[in-house]
Amino acid sequence: MSGEASTRTAAPAVSAFDRVALGVVGLSIVTFLLGWTTLFQRTGPDTAVAGLSLFALFGAVFLLAGAGLVGAGFSSYVGVFETTADRYTGIGTGVGFGVLGFAVGGLVTTIAFGVGAAGSVAAGLGVALVIVAAVAVLPEDLGTTLPVGLLSLAWGALLVAGIVDASWFWNPPSLEATFHAPIAVPLATIALSLLVAWSGAIVAEGFGSQGRQNGAYLLIGLNAFGMIAVLLLLILFVVRKGLPKLLEGAQFGPGLSVSVPFVTRGVMLGQQFNGIFPAIVGTVWLVIGAVVLAVPMGIGAAVFLTEYAEQGRFTAVIETATNALWSTPSIVYGLFGYAFLVPRFGNSNSLLAGMFVLGFMLLPLVVITSRESIKSVPDEYRDASAALGVNQWQTIRSVVLPAAMPGVVTGVILGVGRIAGETAPILLVTSGQPFPARAPSVLGSFRFVATPPFVRNEALLQASSALPYQLYAVITAGVGQEEAFGWGTALVLLMVVLGFYAIGIASRIYFRRKLHQ
Amino acid sequence: MSEQSTTSTRVEQSTDEFGDGSPAASTHTVDAETDERLDESWVEYEFDGDAAVSVSDLDVYYGDDHAIDGISMEIPEKSVTALIGPSGCGKSTFLRCLNRMNDRIDSARVEGGVEVGDENIYEGDTDLVQLRKRVGMVFQSPNPFPKSVRDNIAYGPRKHGDLNTGLLGRLLGNDDQQREDELVERCLRQSALWDEVNDRLDDNALGLSGGQQQRLCIARCLAVDPDVILMDEPASALDPVATAKIEDLIEQLAEEYTVVVVTHNMQQAARISDQTAVFLTGGQLVEYDRTDKIFENPESDRVEDYVTGKFG
Repeated sequence: MSGEASTRTAAPAVSAFDRVALGVVGLSIVTFLLGWTTLFQRTGPDTAVAGLSLFALFGAVFLLAGAGLVGAGFSSYVGVFETTADRYTGIGTGVGFGVLGFAVGGLVTTIAFGVGAAGSVAAGLGVALVIVAAVAVLPEDLGTTLPVGLLSLAWGALLVAGIVDASWFWNPPSLEATFHAPIAVPLATIALSLLVAWSGAIVAEGFGSQGRQNGAYLLIGLNAFGMIAVLLLLILFVVRKGLPKLLEGAQFGPGLSVSVPFVTRGVMLGQQFNGIFPAIVGTVWLVIGAVVLAVPMGIGAAVFLTEYAEQGRFTAVIETATNALWSTPSIVYGLFGYAFLVPRFGNSNSLLAGMFVLGFMLLPLVVITSRESIKSVPDEYRDASAALGVNQWQTIRSVVLPAAMPGVVTGVILGVGRIAGETAPILLVTSGQPFPARAPSVLGSFRFVATPPFVRNEALLQASSALPYQLYAVITAGVGQEEAFGWGTALVLLMVVLGFYAIGIASRIYFRRKLHQ
Repeated sequence: MSEQSTTSTRVEQSTDEFGDGSPAASTHTVDAETDERLDESWVEYEFDGDAAVSVSDLDVYYGDDHAIDGISMEIPEKSVTALIGPSGCGKSTFLRCLNRMNDRIDSARVEGGVEVGDENIYEGDTDLVQLRKRVGMVFQSPNPFPKSVRDNIAYGPRKHGDLNTGLLGRLLGNDDQQREDELVERCLRQSALWDEVNDRLDDNALGLSGGQQQRLCIARCLAVDPDVILMDEPASALDPVATAKIEDLIEQLAEEYTVVVVTHNMQQAARISDQTAVFLTGGQLVEYDRTDKIFENPESDRVEDYVTGKFG
């Protein structure tokens, strides 16, 4: 039959075949993107594209793509085009389509005929078994195109015929939920677009191992793209919501003078533009304090555990304990600080207690990542140093730690990202008035005194606000603060965290350079 | 056989279970293949001049594994001594005993004596820092630190406090920058690397080629002014051109230093060494003599088989 490439006739026009396949891939990527924009309500069912309503456009595209896939599959099967399709599609792809068939078959029977759960499961299973059996033994050019192409044709027909339109909804009898077209259709479209793109990509390389490679590449690429898209979407969303508040009353110029009241002022009565300066300062001090406490301690512990301690039960127990500490919920840390630290630091919420609690939270991650990066320093360096008669501590300081520094910094960056956004511990040990007028003046409050510990800093012992806490306060305040104030705070929090990231990444680059230049 | 040689004496190392006790009669042995008993050895090598290292009855165990079995040998100063033998015969372990690098392996246990100069390094409270300054080591794969060429060479002297180029030294006015420059240049010249790297002393050493890195490691070892240099297969990770450079360098170094080289490459041992010690399985030293004697007319049949490539 068609299984062997050698029985195929010479290809008359491979370029036409390729054009169809690439067209299918391109069309499905368009519907994929439009599906996402519809899901996020950037486009709606009524949006007119090229004279068609959006759903009708989806339908038309799927009809085209389905026809293209089915056509390509059959033309390869009968040998119009020379491809390298395998004799069988195989069990793996068959089972994949079987799972899909189970979902589609079950849904269609229950939506169309209103059968109950048992009936739809039975129908889904039946469809699945048939599909697995059929796809597994079909030649690859049919097995990878027909199921997707037929599904695409069916979905396209439903949309074009208006059976599923903007006012369509499905009310499952056994669930309280209702599925409306503006959500359900884009979701189905996105999923089907991925399938069609995958199938098209396989067709474009003429099936066989090249085709499967191309299909996998496309799916993986779309996944990576999707991840970046989620990140960008989040940032853009926060920026869009928060930027107007951030720039409220802001003045740029004349010259270099810049005034952005939202980030330079506190909250005061009778002030035209209120701001979150105290919270920014609070967060920055909390992070600095936590890093100063945790990083030297963590690196020291990691050095002891990897370089000095005998590897065995003791280090294994410590390792388990550090991992457990890292996954301890932050509210537990906060409660510990509330019950243990706060009474010892003047019995009121304070910046210092917050620094300690966040430092404790950061500590396990610093230990874990420092241990890993110290372990990965090659033993050759240690041997070389020992052979020169240099003692162990000097070796650690001059060779091992510099080589481990980039990894340590990576760990600190990750940890800072976590603690800067931490709300629960701050709520318990640091927070005072949610919208303070003044920022804590830590540097200006150091006083020398005659009794131990000889240094006092009132600002460290006073309650402070912090960005995540302020955000929480805005949301729960209900009245008194507008929503925009919260979005502005969120944007600033994002900027502060990204700013710490930038510092971390810059220092990691610095340490790497030192090792490799 | 032994009567013909003036420099070699047959030594019975372990109790003789089979023979009649007469060394001359024991050439006929139970080992049919090699016509030689496994516990026979020829290790009395006589030489002019002083011994830089003398090893007596050295045994090394890794846990229960007997890696070195009662080795005694004297290594003459200012010469190249090659240690050859098949894999796992204990020659690297032996080398690592000479500067006590085996101390870094937890399960290793050393018995017997090693004298470097006049001091038994396994006795009393040997200062490891002083010992390793006197007995330097170069490893199989080049392992420069990820620092500049200059920092690599000055590393040892700086850590030993012989060079003060840090901030404090500069502030206090006794800046050793001049001395450091001289030291770096001298070591690089001694290791035949100066002409290749003198314009990039502040570049990272990892950017050098493998052969250059290995010569840098030799220069780094020279910087602490050792008497003895141990080399553990120093050219086995290098291409033939780089290997030839290392071999030339070893021969030059032997004018000032005592060099002990472990090598898998028998041609290399024949080319560069003054005397050769052949280790065979079980951590035993089978024959130790002038290199030409070992390669042209060894006493031991097993050594002859090994150096001619019939085994190992």
